[in-house]
Amino acid sequence: MAAAGAGSGYRKELVDLAHGQVSREIFVSDAIYAEEQERLFARAWLFVGHESQVPKPGDFFVSGMGEESVILCRDRVGALRVFLNSCRHRGMKVCRYDEGNTPVFTCPYHGWSYATDGKLVGVPYFREAYHGELDRAQWGLVEVAQLSNYKGAVFATWDPAAPPFEEYLGEFARYLDLTLDSWDGEGEVEVLGGVQKWLIPCNWKFPAENFCGDSYHNISHRSVDLVGIGPSGSGRRDMRERLMARRLQVSFYERGHQTGVYVLPQGEATPPAYAHSPVVSDYFRQCEARRRQKHGEWGRVIGSPGELFPNTALHPRQPRTIAVWHPRGAHQTECWRWYFVDKAAPQEVKDFLRDYYIRYSGPAGMTEQDDMENWNYAHAASRGVIARRHPYSYEQGQGYEIENYEYQGLRVPGTVMDITEAKSSEHNLRNLYRRWAEFMAAESWDALATWRRGDDGMARAAE
Amino acid sequence: MSELVNTRELTPGMQIVLVDGAVVEVVSNPLDGVWVFARYLSSPADPARIGSEEMIFAQDIAEIRAAP
Repeated sequence: MAAAGAGSGYRKELVDLAHGQVSREIFVSDAIYAEEQERLFARAWLFVGHESQVPKPGDFFVSGMGEESVILCRDRVGALRVFLNSCRHRGMKVCRYDEGNTPVFTCPYHGWSYATDGKLVGVPYFREAYHGELDRAQWGLVEVAQLSNYKGAVFATWDPAAPPFEEYLGEFARYLDLTLDSWDGEGEVEVLGGVQKWLIPCNWKFPAENFCGDSYHNISHRSVDLVGIGPSGSGRRDMRERLMARRLQVSFYERGHQTGVYVLPQGEATPPAYAHSPVVSDYFRQCEARRRQKHGEWGRVIGSPGELFPNTALHPRQPRTIAVWHPRGAHQTECWRWYFVDKAAPQEVKDFLRDYYIRYSGPAGMTEQDDMENWNYAHAASRGVIARRHPYSYEQGQGYEIENYEYQGLRVPGTVMDITEAKSSEHNLRNLYRRWAEFMAAESWDALATWRRGDDGMARAAE
Repeated sequence: MSELVNTRELTPGMQIVLVDGAVVEVVSNPLDGVWVFARYLSSPADPARIGSEEMIFAQDIAEIRAAP
């Protein structure tokens, strides 16, 4: 299937929202994958890392943006920077360590060397071979067009025309805060330990879709729930919330972000968790009390997995983590997972969470292993010429979306699907592919930033 | 020709002789195996460099100068 130059027909052909169908081609086509690199990953805001990973001048952390290797570093004067990890002379990586501290990034190929502000400061035989004439100011490391430090989380984009990060977020910021704020909503968070990195044989959109709030696949985790790996020792980690709260899927049509949330009834306290450890349980009980006090009615909102478009997954609670699905070809994804804890939390809390987090998520986490089995086999079984003729179904809950959703005096931003009784919906998944199709079709941010024109989001949803 | 100098073993305060005969004192070492930061103590080819601090390319290092 040809992807190039598809224009407005592109979306209709591959992402048919009117019928709730998405072509398998967008997962398995090498041509579409190649086009995604230019149209999505070169234009969207992407998560790079957390400021707590580079606290001192000269600290660096090698990350990724789409297929590109990038260096997140703090320069000599303390400013955060993100550079393409590629020498301007012949393209060699100028940094091949995962993290560390350095005054310069030196290319091992011919020796060009760059300061932590990206300036080219070392050129072998500058006087002799270049006769002192190379304009070093023109040959610094390639820097991202825009960088945002949002509550310690560093996001960047290659596109100078992209809207500022907070505009890119819109009201979704309130949901992102559920992952980035400390548990009491007042302190700072930090990355716990290192970043987990592993490869899986599937397209990056399989995990992305899963973390949009796909609750339909919970049957896959039944064995984990039976084992009782939850932080309270039995059942699902969020069973108490499920029994007492409204369970919602929330989409932002114009932004492509989506998440699940629970909204507690008015006057109801956040249910206890982490009963395995009195110290941890007490810590969270106190945090929740302060959070409710600080946020008022908004404190009734409890986070659940979500996805910041296009490839940053949010898991605000039990465990608290961000994952990035780095594309590595149409048929492979490199998963990176950061875990967060409150900086000021007692060591016993951090230790308990470390054990729970790695038991739950990541390559060795019992829950994520279930997920990977599904993604990997689904991808493999969708590559054949016969399989590719048949689209996937995304019809759940279509037509039951609610604008201006309110529950007991609390307005919930975004377009909502209440799945308390319905149990499941593909509302958020459709939103991911809606935005994906828009990015793939749009020629510029003028076409993508529809909120600047005051377009009607519901009209687009009904399309 | 003297032994090839391992730049990773150069520490601040050490003096090195460059292939053009200049003598520099190591100020800091990024340990990248390619460069050291150093201050010129002498420079027969260009006396104007004396006192200036520059990045010295490993291939330009001739030998470590013995302590006086």
